[in-house]
Amino acid sequence: MKLEINGEAKSAMLKYCISIGLTLVFGCILITAQGEKPLRAMGYILQGSFGSVMNIGNTIRWIISSLLVGAAATIAFKSGVANMGIEGQIYIGALSAAVIGYSIELPPGLHAIACLLVASIMGMLYALIPALLRLYFKINELITTLVLNFIAKDLTEYITMWVIMGGQQAANGSASIATPRILKSAQLPIIIKSTTANIGIFIALAVLLIVAFFYKYTLEGYELTQIGQNMNFARMGGVNITRSFLMAFLISGFISGLCGGIEITGAYYRFTSSFSNNLGWDGIMIARVSNNNPIAVIFVSIIWGGLKQGAMNMERMTSLNRLIVIIIQMLFVLFVSIDYDSIINKWKSKMELKKPDYNGGMNI
Amino acid sequence: MNSYEYILEMRNINKRFKNLVANDNITFRVRPGTVHALIGENGAGKSTLMNILTNIQTPDSGEIYIRGELVEFKNPLDAVRHGIGMVYQEFMTFQGMSVLDNIIVGFEQKNGMFIDYKESRRKVEEICKKYNFNIPLDALVNDLPIATLQQVEIIKVLYRNADIIILDEPTSVLTPQGVQGLLDAIRFLVKQGKTVIFITHKLKEVLEISDDITILKNGRVTGVLSAKETNELELARLMVGREVMLQINKPQCKTGDVVLIVSNLKVKDSAGVIRVKNASFKVHAGEIVGISGIAVSGQKALVEAIVGLSTAEKHGEIIFCGRNITDETIANRRKMGMGYIAQDRTGIGSNKEGTIWENAIMGYHRVKGFKRKHLLDFNDINAFTNKIIDEYAVKTQGIGDKIKTLSGGNIQKLIAGREFLQNQKLLIIEDPTRGIDVGSVEFIWNRIIQMAQVGVAVLLISHDLNEVMQLSDRILVMYNGSIIEHPNSKVLTEEQIGLMMLGGVIDEVGN
Repeated sequence: MKLEINGEAKSAMLKYCISIGLTLVFGCILITAQGEKPLRAMGYILQGSFGSVMNIGNTIRWIISSLLVGAAATIAFKSGVANMGIEGQIYIGALSAAVIGYSIELPPGLHAIACLLVASIMGMLYALIPALLRLYFKINELITTLVLNFIAKDLTEYITMWVIMGGQQAANGSASIATPRILKSAQLPIIIKSTTANIGIFIALAVLLIVAFFYKYTLEGYELTQIGQNMNFARMGGVNITRSFLMAFLISGFISGLCGGIEITGAYYRFTSSFSNNLGWDGIMIARVSNNNPIAVIFVSIIWGGLKQGAMNMERMTSLNRLIVIIIQMLFVLFVSIDYDSIINKWKSKMELKKPDYNGGMNI
Repeated sequence: MNSYEYILEMRNINKRFKNLVANDNITFRVRPGTVHALIGENGAGKSTLMNILTNIQTPDSGEIYIRGELVEFKNPLDAVRHGIGMVYQEFMTFQGMSVLDNIIVGFEQKNGMFIDYKESRRKVEEICKKYNFNIPLDALVNDLPIATLQQVEIIKVLYRNADIIILDEPTSVLTPQGVQGLLDAIRFLVKQGKTVIFITHKLKEVLEISDDITILKNGRVTGVLSAKETNELELARLMVGREVMLQINKPQCKTGDVVLIVSNLKVKDSAGVIRVKNASFKVHAGEIVGISGIAVSGQKALVEAIVGLSTAEKHGEIIFCGRNITDETIANRRKMGMGYIAQDRTGIGSNKEGTIWENAIMGYHRVKGFKRKHLLDFNDINAFTNKIIDEYAVKTQGIGDKIKTLSGGNIQKLIAGREFLQNQKLLIIEDPTRGIDVGSVEFIWNRIIQMAQVGVAVLLISHDLNEVMQLSDRILVMYNGSIIEHPNSKVLTEEQIGLMMLGGVIDEVGN
């Protein structure tokens, strides 16, 4: 007797098992090729990410951003919006948070909230641009959001350099293009001493849970899912496509902006140009790996954050570069994106065709 | 003289696409030096058969003989080498290049590495002279009118030494004068020894130009006739005639008030082509009005305008229960009591990625609403979904299963249940039984009749003439974008309706 597992769960499990297996194989080859032992490298990654309280704290700091970008991408993709502009929305949100953080004085707590709120709203407004371009001029958001990423990155750099720094070098003599440090009142409380693990983790988890609830239990979530899966079906059911599209786009931008805000108020404490290191793209990968499931995003983010933190330890302790971890991560995304079911089916039908017409023999 | 009777013989060709049988054991024979018309509705299998002949698709089984010899094409070029040339309905030209370039492309006369334009031009000019074509070879193809482009395409296949020339719906893009010019050209080609396969669904042209006629319907050959020994009525019957698989007793209806008035409706498709021309008709409560027509006569555009998927042109009106809904949103049309079963079951009618309940409540969720405005009411959802499953006999394991685990018939019953169980006033039903099992067909037909009995107005648009004739109280014919209403459509025979579907005119007493 077999265990009753429905076909879909089975094919999902198959998919992840094959992907993990393939990633491990390729990862081992890559590491061995550079003259290191794969197991030793993996040990250092684990140690660096979860080996001590401090390491866990720093891992949490990366989990926060992974969670938020994962949520932003999931909302967009689940609702049929190709928001590739999470990166740009993060930049806009981050700079806004930094400006509010250093330039105004507010009571502690309130100040941080103000920073995050402004960051979120600015991220959302930045997402409004491609949304309107799509709705009124029918320009595909895939293109506009990609282009707006570059604009955001360079615009924030320009503003920091020429407006905030006045074209002068920073007061502390460093050559980087950065805003002044935000005030103490704007910083998010740390939850593990001498690390950057901050209360942003609770905000991020709450966001994911709200997203999961939204898609599972609300009317609007139902409609967005249907739009994402079959727009014409939803349209014929009387769903207001324009409104829903706009809503999904704006929420996605809002969360991206929030992510930027938390990065500044929780970890960096100042806006530095080009700080994000492709964080926005991580979101797209995470959503992809999680198959746009908000709860799965939580688990994938833990792995993502762990790898990010652990990779630095691996780099310190071995001769490997931490970029190798990114390569392995991307390999995993690639393998998960493969449609194994259809490959297997194709292969099966090919085998059937090749089978000779032979009915004797070992027929049990 | 010839050692073979047929220049082309396709024997027992089978081709299926997943569940659709496009070619079902088709045998197609063409005598040399004749015009052979291949007729049938869109979707009858003509294009598939020709794609197999030109090796764009490979058949599942079957053999092709050319000049009596069995051939096996490895690729489309192979077919060209065997003298088969096709002129497509959509011309495949390279914009921005000259006529000459377009003709010789891929088969240039070469001079070492370079194109020998002199020799190429000489060959093309020779062909033009021989077949009486007068074409400016140096003009850009962008600047040419469609009739000329078609000639360019014909020259192209002649240049490639085609002996068997396939013309796919060649007259559909031409003006009446253009059509005469083309027919003359075809006659001339045949006189020069070429063989022409002429694909169309216009019966007049068929009878005028062709020697032999092969008729396809639903992937099967329904007749092979000589043009001299047949007439339009017979062709119409073979082309669209019904296959009665199922008889159903349709009680006389009691018609009530007018529910839907469509007047002077004009609809363009997304490409700007007018698909519906000044359509006007009414549907009363308790009445089933059937619209029949061959495929792509404008039914899709008409339905889309009525249900709200597209917008009609300004001067027309759609009045539903006394209210002009021409510019109303789909949500409001639904709230007013309009239900819709789409022909496109997986594209519009259902979301194949979704679960059964997700598919069951689409539309209902906004029209009826739930207790709380923003939260899904799972009690209500379960109740409604299970009601559909019970009353419409949908065979399923559980309402959380994906809809793609159901058979086509069960999906269609679910969709019908969803649309019928919402206390509608008007149902727009488009090809409700296409591709589903006989049991489900009968079930859905009975439910449609039942809906009419309780006073719902039904507009049934179907490509299946039998379905329209069995269910409808009144039959409208859609031809080339226009609605044709016969004053007493119930007396018409299927041949007469078939003829109307193909553009014929039937008078009041049925002649």
